[in-house]
Amino acid sequence: MTHERWTSGDTELTNALRALYAAPAGESYWDAFEARILDHVARGDVHGGWWDELADMIRPGLIAAAALILVASLAMVHSRQRDAESAYATLITPTPTSMEASTRAASVGDGDVAIHLLLSR
Amino acid sequence: MLATLAPPSLVPLTVPAESTISERAIVIAAQRGSDEAFASLVRLHQRRAYAITRAIVLSHEDAEDAVQEGFLHAHRALDRFRPEQPFGAWLYRIMANAALDLVRRRKVRDADELPESIPMPFRDPAESGELRERLQRALTRLTDRQRAVIVMHDVEGFTHGEIGRTLGIPEGTARSDLHHARAMLRRLLQDIRSTS
Repeated sequence: MTHERWTSGDTELTNALRALYAAPAGESYWDAFEARILDHVARGDVHGGWWDELADMIRPGLIAAAALILVASLAMVHSRQRDAESAYATLITPTPTSMEASTRAASVGDGDVAIHLLLSR
Repeated sequence: MLATLAPPSLVPLTVPAESTISERAIVIAAQRGSDEAFASLVRLHQRRAYAITRAIVLSHEDAEDAVQEGFLHAHRALDRFRPEQPFGAWLYRIMANAALDLVRRRKVRDADELPESIPMPFRDPAESGELRERLQRALTRLTDRQRAVIVMHDVEGFTHGEIGRTLGIPEGTARSDLHHARAMLRRLLQDIRSTS
């Protein structure tokens, strides 16, 4: 056939390749192998099909999802704590708007006192 | 484990016309659900199927696994096969895909276990199995496709066209892969070969 493929010095290499890759001889081996193939086909279980690869991905997928949920939960708890602290701080610290309003109320009160004083004279 | 090794068969992919006719009848019977006919197809093609998968994977055991997978896929896809086509070419393409799929999965699984490079201290090549051992290591340095092409061509006697059809690559690519694979093997095994 195509035995011009190696130069004269390559014969040893070709023989080594053939020895390495030669198929098993002996009819008993092939009879047994045929029986195994037919048994495999009959059982119909494809080892390592795409669904097996999917099954392999399930575990790391679940771990990643759990980690994501944990991180999201921590972030949510942290955010709620911050909101609560902020709300409490708003309650105990008077805002500039409320000070102005109380000053205005106080000045209105002073006006009333002055009117009462004028009327009493 | 391995039984005794047979000499290379160099069986051509093409079969005589009368065999093709009888094979077509067997294929049709298998498509109609005959287990016996399918068993005949397995018997007819298992050696060639083994040779193809063995050229692609790295071990005898993986080749056996790939052949079993290939026949299972073929059995499931049998109703989609058109009997006027050559059954062998169709089946061997499935076998090659099963072997390539297995190699891909092995690679992912073993990625952390394989060393980047394999140390090759010089020893007398006359030592038993030295060339075989070195060759085995050198073959792992080829790409999967280059390895498949050189084994299919030099060991199994496939033509470039047959290799192309089986592996789903252009004939020219098979030719070029063969050239590069040989060059790489020559380079990696130079020290042994120059002293022998």
